[in-house]
Amino acid sequence: MLYFLGIFQTIGVHTLLGLSAYVLLLTGQLSLGQVGFFAIGAYVSGILTVLFSWHIFAALAVGALVAGFFAFLIGFPALRVKGLMLVVATIAFSEIVRLFFFNLSWRVEVNGFDVGPDSTQGFREIRYFAANGWEQTHVVALIWSFVILVMFLLWWLDRVRAGAVLRAVGEDDLAAQSSGVNLTMVKVAAMTAGGVIAGIGGGLFAHSTTYVDHHTFTILLATFAVSYPILGGHKNVFGTLLAVIFIQGFVIEGLRFMGDYRNIVFGLLIILAMNLRPQGLVDGHFISDIKKKLGGKPKKDSADA
Amino acid sequence: MNIDHIDVIQALIDGILYGSTYALLGLGFTLIFGAMHKLNIAYAASSIAGAYVGLASISVMAIPPILVFFIGPLSAGAIGLVIYFACFRYMPTGNQLAPLMASIGALFFVDEIIIHETSGSPLSFPALLPDSYFFLGQFGIRGDLVMVMFFSFVLMGIVMFLLYRTKLGLATRATSQQSVAALLCGIPTHRTNATTFVLAGILGGFAGCLIAAAVGVLSPLITLPLTIKGLIVTVIGGLGSIRGAIIAGFLIGSFENIFLLVRGVNERDIYVFLLLFVFLVFRPNGLFGTAIDRD
Repeated sequence: MLYFLGIFQTIGVHTLLGLSAYVLLLTGQLSLGQVGFFAIGAYVSGILTVLFSWHIFAALAVGALVAGFFAFLIGFPALRVKGLMLVVATIAFSEIVRLFFFNLSWRVEVNGFDVGPDSTQGFREIRYFAANGWEQTHVVALIWSFVILVMFLLWWLDRVRAGAVLRAVGEDDLAAQSSGVNLTMVKVAAMTAGGVIAGIGGGLFAHSTTYVDHHTFTILLATFAVSYPILGGHKNVFGTLLAVIFIQGFVIEGLRFMGDYRNIVFGLLIILAMNLRPQGLVDGHFISDIKKKLGGKPKKDSADA
Repeated sequence: MNIDHIDVIQALIDGILYGSTYALLGLGFTLIFGAMHKLNIAYAASSIAGAYVGLASISVMAIPPILVFFIGPLSAGAIGLVIYFACFRYMPTGNQLAPLMASIGALFFVDEIIIHETSGSPLSFPALLPDSYFFLGQFGIRGDLVMVMFFSFVLMGIVMFLLYRTKLGLATRATSQQSVAALLCGIPTHRTNATTFVLAGILGGFAGCLIAAAVGVLSPLITLPLTIKGLIVTVIGGLGSIRGAIIAGFLIGSFENIFLLVRGVNERDIYVFLLLFVFLVFRPNGLFGTAIDRD
């Protein structure tokens, strides 16, 4: 049972990570920086609960805000250049964050124990849940309530004007600009929202695993983050969730007997998926096809191209 | 630690010598970008993979170690061709992100195969010129790095010659400027692009072998830093600009060594990556890039 709870935790955290990349993908931006914001959220909220004995919710909120603030800062220079250059810039950003935490040593004595990030040794003492009598089911419930909240907000976003603006920028930013959309504002807003979501995910990740170090926050994790919405298609938030369940539940856990061949499979899977469906596996047609097969009347989605 | 001007000049010399390998990698990235207006993130990984194939073949077969500098680049060229077909050939022309994502997949595919085959442990690599340290006044100079720089210049000369003096180069430049018009003129654009990938792959294979020879070991840990530095060189030089890539390579090499001297090995790369943001803010088109168009 504990094993399955562990998988639920992983899927929940990775869904948040995937959704943070999804917001950016709506505006047509591919960012490998999500893992940087995730790491900031993880370390900041971990430092707040461990070193300053904050409550978990306050720590998560501050972690998310700090991550969002950095996303906001990164947004301006990175978005002046677009597309391919943004990818390069965000890779560099993720590595800067990783190397910063690789070098960060901040040991403080709390209640007779030395705690805090210890550069290469990682940050080991994030035991808020255990120290405050949370059971693992509570942790899973906490993670999934955030997942559901974020998914609901993004689902709702698609049904109001702001979502239409995001998609308009993603489809053709010149056309969007000429109909009066402030491109910089929209892209920086999407970047910031992505940073906040990744920051929450990072905070939850740090507290549910009790241990983080710089090895966790590599470009591989950033690739996982963007591959979820890309494999799931950016037409729908549920595609991202399905992709996370497929990759974490099936490729990583289900194929555990394959050992380190799984990472090779992951690389092949991305190449294959991109060749077969460059717009994502679950695009608008896929959803309406399923609805037709199920006998329901297909809903006309105006955002479909 | 006291740092005087001799240390700084020494670091600059080493950095510029070592920077020639970054210039080669940046040149490969920029060749591919110039040809297709797409980024091949797997490029540095395939270069290192080529060096691995060369190393494997000299350790399996009883051939002189110097042959690694022939087998490595050739296999890197072959890997480049495979990556072209797997990630670029059959993608929609207008879609830049799909081939980019596919090449990230290829990066991990190549990297994980190397890690799987070598169990992740570094392997020693034959040196170009062992024990060739000499002094020039007060400054020590590594002879093998001089060789690395020499070979880099020869390769850059060959690439320039191919691009600007041969029919192949004419076809490559035509495809780069207007691929549809080039196709109408009877230039087989797909074959030209494939040739560019092979050429860039060979270049990368040389760079991979030279880097491994200069460091002395080959390890899967160096692919990602090399990828990022190659990309930074490309961006700082200006996407698609050949002289930009070469100059930026030397710039990054010396910048990196200065910060290695001042801040140590753990923090060095932070400053190199921050340099990218300095350029993105003040010169987003790089040193020699043309203004970025709509895509």
